[in-house]
Amino acid sequence: MTLKKQVELALTRRQLFSRTALGLGAPALASLLNTSAVAATAPPHYAAKAKRVIFLHQSGGPSQLDLFDYKPKLKAMFGVELPASIRMGQRITGMTSGQSALPVAPSVFKFEQHGKSGAWLSELVPHTAKIADELTIVRSMKTDAINHDPAITFIHSGSQQPGRPSLGSWVSYGLGSENQNLPAFVVLLSTSNTPINDQPLFSRLWGSGFLPSNHQGVRFRSGAEPVLFLRDPEGIDRSTRRMMLDGMEQLNRMRHETYGDPEIETRISQFEMAYRMQASVPDLMDLSQEPEATFKLYGEDARKPGTYAANCLLARRLAERDVRFIQLYHRGWDQHNELPRHLAMQCRGTDQASAALVTDLKQRGLLDHTLVVWGGEFGRTVYCQGKLTETLYGRDHHPRSFTWWLAGGGTKPGVVHGETDDFSYNIVANPVHIHDMQATILHCLGMDHTRLTYKFQGRRFRLTDVHGEVVKPLLA
Amino acid sequence: MMSGMGRIAFSCLITTFAWAAPPAATPVDFGRQIRPLLSENCFSCHGPDERNRMAGLRLDTREGALGRIKPGDAAASPLFQRVSHEKKSLRMPPVASGRVLNDKQVELIKRWIDEGAAWKTHWSYSPPVRAELPLVKDKAWGKTPIDQFVLARLEKEGLKPSPETDRITLARRVTLDLTGLPPTPEEVAAFVADKTPNAYEKVVDRLLASRRYGEKMALPWLDLSRYADTHGFHIDSHRVMWPWRDWVISAFNNNMRWDEFVVEQLAGDLLPDATPDQRLATGFNRNHMINFEGGAIPDEYLTEYVIDRVETTANVFMGMTMGCARCHDHKYDPISQKDFYRFFAFFNTVDEKGLDGQRGNAEPRMFVASAGQISEIERMDAEIKEKRKRLAEKDVDEAQTAWEKTLPPSADLQRRLGQGLEFHYEFEGGLEDSSGHYRAARMVANEAVFGAGPIGRGMTMTVDEKMALAADVLQDERKPFTLAFFVRPTHERSVRLFEKGTGLQIYTGVSEYVPYYKRGSPLTLHLGPRRLVSEAPLLYGSYSHLAIAYDGTTVKLFVDGKPAALRVVNDAPAQFANREPLTIREFQGQMDDLRLYNRLLGEGELMDLAMHLGPMRAAEIPAAKRVKEEKDRLRAYFLSSAAPPELRETAARLKKLETERQQLGEVVPGAMVMTEMIEKPRESFVLARGDYQNKTEKVLAAVPSTLPPLPNGVPANRLGLAKWLIDPAHPLLTRVTVNRFWQNYFGTGLVKTSEDFGSQGDSPSHPELLDWLATELMRSNWDVKAMQKLLVMSATYRQSSRTTPALQERDPENRLLARMSRFRLPAELVRDNALAASGLLNNEIGGPSVFPYQPAGLWDELAFGREFTAQKYTPSHGQDLYRRGMYSFWKRTVPPAELATFDAPDREKCLSRRAVTNTPLQALALMNDPTFVEAARHLAQRMLREGGRRPEDRVAFGYRRVLARRPSPKETAVLSGVAAKQLAAYTQNESAARGLLSVGESKADDQLPVAELAAWTNVATMIMNLDEAITKE
Repeated sequence: MTLKKQVELALTRRQLFSRTALGLGAPALASLLNTSAVAATAPPHYAAKAKRVIFLHQSGGPSQLDLFDYKPKLKAMFGVELPASIRMGQRITGMTSGQSALPVAPSVFKFEQHGKSGAWLSELVPHTAKIADELTIVRSMKTDAINHDPAITFIHSGSQQPGRPSLGSWVSYGLGSENQNLPAFVVLLSTSNTPINDQPLFSRLWGSGFLPSNHQGVRFRSGAEPVLFLRDPEGIDRSTRRMMLDGMEQLNRMRHETYGDPEIETRISQFEMAYRMQASVPDLMDLSQEPEATFKLYGEDARKPGTYAANCLLARRLAERDVRFIQLYHRGWDQHNELPRHLAMQCRGTDQASAALVTDLKQRGLLDHTLVVWGGEFGRTVYCQGKLTETLYGRDHHPRSFTWWLAGGGTKPGVVHGETDDFSYNIVANPVHIHDMQATILHCLGMDHTRLTYKFQGRRFRLTDVHGEVVKPLLA
Repeated sequence: MMSGMGRIAFSCLITTFAWAAPPAATPVDFGRQIRPLLSENCFSCHGPDERNRMAGLRLDTREGALGRIKPGDAAASPLFQRVSHEKKSLRMPPVASGRVLNDKQVELIKRWIDEGAAWKTHWSYSPPVRAELPLVKDKAWGKTPIDQFVLARLEKEGLKPSPETDRITLARRVTLDLTGLPPTPEEVAAFVADKTPNAYEKVVDRLLASRRYGEKMALPWLDLSRYADTHGFHIDSHRVMWPWRDWVISAFNNNMRWDEFVVEQLAGDLLPDATPDQRLATGFNRNHMINFEGGAIPDEYLTEYVIDRVETTANVFMGMTMGCARCHDHKYDPISQKDFYRFFAFFNTVDEKGLDGQRGNAEPRMFVASAGQISEIERMDAEIKEKRKRLAEKDVDEAQTAWEKTLPPSADLQRRLGQGLEFHYEFEGGLEDSSGHYRAARMVANEAVFGAGPIGRGMTMTVDEKMALAADVLQDERKPFTLAFFVRPTHERSVRLFEKGTGLQIYTGVSEYVPYYKRGSPLTLHLGPRRLVSEAPLLYGSYSHLAIAYDGTTVKLFVDGKPAALRVVNDAPAQFANREPLTIREFQGQMDDLRLYNRLLGEGELMDLAMHLGPMRAAEIPAAKRVKEEKDRLRAYFLSSAAPPELRETAARLKKLETERQQLGEVVPGAMVMTEMIEKPRESFVLARGDYQNKTEKVLAAVPSTLPPLPNGVPANRLGLAKWLIDPAHPLLTRVTVNRFWQNYFGTGLVKTSEDFGSQGDSPSHPELLDWLATELMRSNWDVKAMQKLLVMSATYRQSSRTTPALQERDPENRLLARMSRFRLPAELVRDNALAASGLLNNEIGGPSVFPYQPAGLWDELAFGREFTAQKYTPSHGQDLYRRGMYSFWKRTVPPAELATFDAPDREKCLSRRAVTNTPLQALALMNDPTFVEAARHLAQRMLREGGRRPEDRVAFGYRRVLARRPSPKETAVLSGVAAKQLAAYTQNESAARGLLSVGESKADDQLPVAELAAWTNVATMIMNLDEAITKE
């Protein structure tokens, strides 16, 4: 194909899987569509370790104090008012700002050291503890927002307010897809393991913002129709569909001969890709060929479609098929009250599968090229929300310090990064802001966050706005 | 390697797109060629942003640039020296900026300086000038002044316009453009047959008079206005703004002058003697997202609402990207951060709250109802406000504190109420029985949760939990019992409270649930075969105290201590004694203080349980330690039963008013509108880094200093701002408006970046034409329909959209307009056209939004909980399934699936241009979405009934309905062939045929043979799925 022909085609191929057909970088394609947008360079900007990301978002804000950030001194401070020297007048949410007291609630859970790294982990995450040496634990995450909507929007788009492209769509835009039959950016959802109302999610979290809409995440749902309108209606079998598509192709080609519009060619190829997806997606979702060992590893829950465990297993299958960005959301981590009981339930539903995913990727040789990210939109307060007893307490949102972990994809295993004060309230060493983490994730994929830009309303926007530094100590 | 490819392809493209560059002989055009280069490469460090300006150098003004330029001598100009410096480290722009000037661009700058460095202010900041019509060689082609501008440019480029398209294509094109629907075969035939010279004009006039015109014109306006049916943030429950949407449709249909359209939407409430319609129009700037997330900080969101209004207003009416100046001076356009917050001040005095909208519309709002209803609502609102104010005064606190001291301890009451207890679950954090019988309850499945309840804490369950109480109670139908408890159901369908095998069953039945509002449903009691139903509904989302009292034969119900009517549904003797445990399962909501007595309670005791016990217990907690629920409940109790008479009366009146007001609010549609704060309007400040907590300098409302000042004699408020926009001296409003009209027809505006007319935006492809149209809009007294007519009457619009490889290569985006653009229909129209062609379309205009088919669970998987609205998608039935796409209920966090697939936006923010993508997900929707499958079946039914016996006639019928044209013999052959094969297959397999025909709510025509209808349904699908069918040619 001549270069000119390629360009001509590229001009019209505004399609979901924009990269593979021509070997054109998606940003170049986007620039072709928006002639004034001149991306200085096309990614990857440098050699990348990670080819893809699996982001296990724990929606609601898991309590770092009860899982990862061991604070033995708190035991002696049960019920003591949080010192003003620690709070330092920082804003707190409207849910506890009216409370007459902010008493310290020590964790009821036991912590032990694990692995060669000696990472302290609570008894709630025994499976994660077993893979401690695979993990890069970041105890010094911090964010700007204190409520769910702005905080989760911030993590996934770099801005607390709606309107920006999501992380996955930036990656799709930057790197395109490596799979002809599946989208570059897939989203999987699961609901909580507790009886409380889950925090809501929003499709903006995987939306494309001002990027072309073909970069938005595609929700894969459990059940008979994982992708919207994937299933042929009753009474139409494969051969009937094939016959219809063949006929349509002939008719569309006749129109193309008259009108010369290359968009018609694209339409034909999109119908073909849809036809292929009708086979490739069910094949992806079909766990019946997975051996017993898989379910032993991920847990029996993995047999139940739509559970967190099943989605972790699907994430591995998507990674095997070279899907670029796999975004899981698991709800139910918002423990304003009854924390000990509900957090335990959440962990029972997630710990094994999270660890299994890392183990499974490793044993299949995929972990080196897959960055796994585990974390929520903020942490939880050391002070109790509501009534404090020896066994019962709740915790409010805490943006000033919380814990995430990473695995694979060029990160340094067996590292515990960052440190908080005795109350897990303020970070005292090596803070990692959300923008820093976003920069680091893009870095692992070979992209410079300052150079992955898109011009919109006259401005070159980027995921990290004007902030963010790659956190080198997290990288191998 | 792949990225390398990308770069090569890209640099090649720059030359491909070089059509804009005039031949070398003509002087360099500063506005079109130089300013964009400086803007893109220099302004971010050497531009309007004072704080971040480097080396004190400013290149966005003449004075600034001339300091570094020696006109006529590039070599001696520091600016040129730096951009062409041989040392990379000294060359501008710096490497770190990621920006590069290529050799051609550097050469252009050199030539510009050598030619004298002519400087002009940015084109869009001076008012449009009506140019003389240019001279053209081809005198025959043009039909309107538009064409002369277009043709002059084509002739300059050495190109020829395309011939006029055939009448059938033209009929379809203009009907789609002006109404959003396909023409009927009759309309097409009439136009083809009309030999009069003004045949086309007659078609245009007919379409402009159609009420469909207003719907079509409203479509892009809804994107710009970020119109939606939900609030957008967090829980994302419903709002009612469709009366505003209907206002827009009728404004277009009534051909409201554009200046009035602008003024009423921005400031209709401030017009003298504003009419209800003028107030409704201001809903435009209330369409932004609104938040009520628990714990969010009101000030933060108040600021966001105002910023959204600034960004939207600047984008929609001025084509300016003002949002860039929120945190610092604009990097490219002359808008300082102070300008931004002065503009902000126009919109900061709305009488609104930071967190609002839990129950529908947020304040301020109006009711769209009869005059009588409105005055009634206003009277009630005023009185509610006044009563609430009275009850918040300090003396109420004092009176309550005094009263609390007089209260006897609750211990006595508790002892009396302890007599005859079989079990008593207080749910204070556990499931123990405090009756003394040790009948602790236990969870059979999952866990219960404890939170604030009517007495101390209460218990929460969802449908997934199951709780077993006691098995050894209710063992004798001849003995009395009283079952008493507080309950707050939150699930909208069947809520089971208690079950004891087939004996005792208590639940609330299927409700009259509608997606907008919460409602309750009646309580159902089964005592074995004896079945009763309450007359009044049990309300969802609020606590009631229920007591079921059985005297050995008859059952009575008490709600909040008072007798409530029960209707006997099945009059049989009670039978409930069995060994099944009493359980709670499939219950979603809260419960508290659950008691079973082996006796009948007196009415006094029931009142004590329902009304007195909780407050008495709360009063025993020190005031500082009470949780909010305890405080509220105690206050309510005090006001209703113990306060001085004046307060009691006020409280009783308030309660009555609130109930009535809520009921009225549910039947009368409303809309959120703008009002001004009269007392103490909110002050505005420059917010450092755009942060609401960081107030610095105080500012007053004013327009950006780079633009003309407010006209003489107008106030510095929203009305003044609106009048400023429509002033003839304003350079932007008319240009931005006509450019968007152009974009609607041609796919791309004359200024491609229709949202950005600033320094970083694209230059107009035809600047004189843009200005001519802008002045024409004003000259025609802002006649919107006349402007549409002018555009579609042009020869430019009437060209064929066929293209050739040569033309495609020369001008792939069709900016020169040597042909008509050919592009896919917007999402809503993809749907509307399928429905219209099949005959299914419901022609109703306006009204509440509807719920077409959507795969189940799309909302639920993201939703919060059923205490709020718009959390579960309940599809409409009947005719509401077949409304136009613009009436689909727009939930921002989960936009309508079918529309979103075709690039419809989420409406979170103002949007000026939609993407047009071409994806496999679209193919899947066209093939399999029940909307399209059902429409195909209806089209097939008509093909069989009305099309004729012969396959070729049926194909022709389908083609004319969907594509307006007749098929060629080759096309007919393809489809007839498929029809025959499919008929054979479905004849062999009628059950498959029946399956296909069962898609959709409407019933298949049973007069038609099943296999034949199925075969032709697939033929209809093929026609409707053609590229041509979803494309405007």
